[in-house]
Amino acid sequence: MPVPSRLDRFIETEKQRHFHRDFMVGWEAYETWEEATVGQSGPGQRTFKITEEDILDYNLACGETDPLMVDPEYARKNSPTGELLQHPIFVTTIAFYSLGESGIGTWIRTPGARNPQQRIEIVEPFRYGEIITTTVSTADKFTQRSKPYLQMLLDFRNEKNVLKARWWCSLILPETRADVARFANA
Amino acid sequence: MSILFRNIEAGYKFQPVVQSYVQSAIDHYALASLDMNPVHTNEEWAARAKVFGIPETVGHGMMTMSTLASVVTREWGVIGKDGGSLRFVDAKFTKPVKVGETVTATGTVKRKHHYGPGKNWVLIAVEAKDSAGDLIGLAEVGYNLPD
Repeated sequence: MPVPSRLDRFIETEKQRHFHRDFMVGWEAYETWEEATVGQSGPGQRTFKITEEDILDYNLACGETDPLMVDPEYARKNSPTGELLQHPIFVTTIAFYSLGESGIGTWIRTPGARNPQQRIEIVEPFRYGEIITTTVSTADKFTQRSKPYLQMLLDFRNEKNVLKARWWCSLILPETRADVARFANA
Repeated sequence: MSILFRNIEAGYKFQPVVQSYVQSAIDHYALASLDMNPVHTNEEWAARAKVFGIPETVGHGMMTMSTLASVVTREWGVIGKDGGSLRFVDAKFTKPVKVGETVTATGTVKRKHHYGPGKNWVLIAVEAKDSAGDLIGLAEVGYNLPD
């Protein structure tokens, strides 16, 4: 399914230039609710190198105007880290980049998924140049009011194995691959 | 006033954050977050799939979560000038945000957690409403405050 070309004008970062923007490519291989097993764990498909442009673009997309978040020159002189401060929900970008199109946790990309609740804990700020590995653990799988929920715990650690942030990511999913297909082929 | 644990009381109110969810803002968020789910960006697919029972694109839940968190960070800072810092955001989404909506989010300090010198923090209750006044999301935000 082609991504509307109007989105091209927002491409600002190297990762955005190379990221596969068609969410439906390879959906047949995405992990489904019925396949997910609580306790399963593994690394995401890719690591994520933190860059100034990644943080800047996320902050701008959130409507931030604080120069500590959107003016790199100002931040170099005035921020407590000497770098742009990242919006606390920036881990979203790391997760979608890192989980990719195959392997554990790909259900985050499921067409037809609905977002009921999320919890993100910040341990310390990400710093430019850090290489972040995302570890995915299937934390819970349940039905509530006849809806199938999946929850994964994402741990974000740098190259020194320092925990930077954690995300308990929950979605209500189409239950079977046939249910996913109905949305993918809509 | 310095943003210190001893200066902040339950009931403290934050300035509201008003955020537009026009399609161009949702498109920008899709690129910035790399969440390219077509329910946010592809009007034709959204009209056919009706994921939320409506034939329109909707804002990302994570965009709403960002708006909720911004109520606190725009006033106190992601890292505050007095040394505070955001600890966690725990959000629930109660209604999809239809394209074109304007969301207004407000926050109030709900309670103070007395963990001891250098470890104290406060819990802030944040909620966001759409232009009809319907609740679209709510969050609890934990924020570490210097003594």
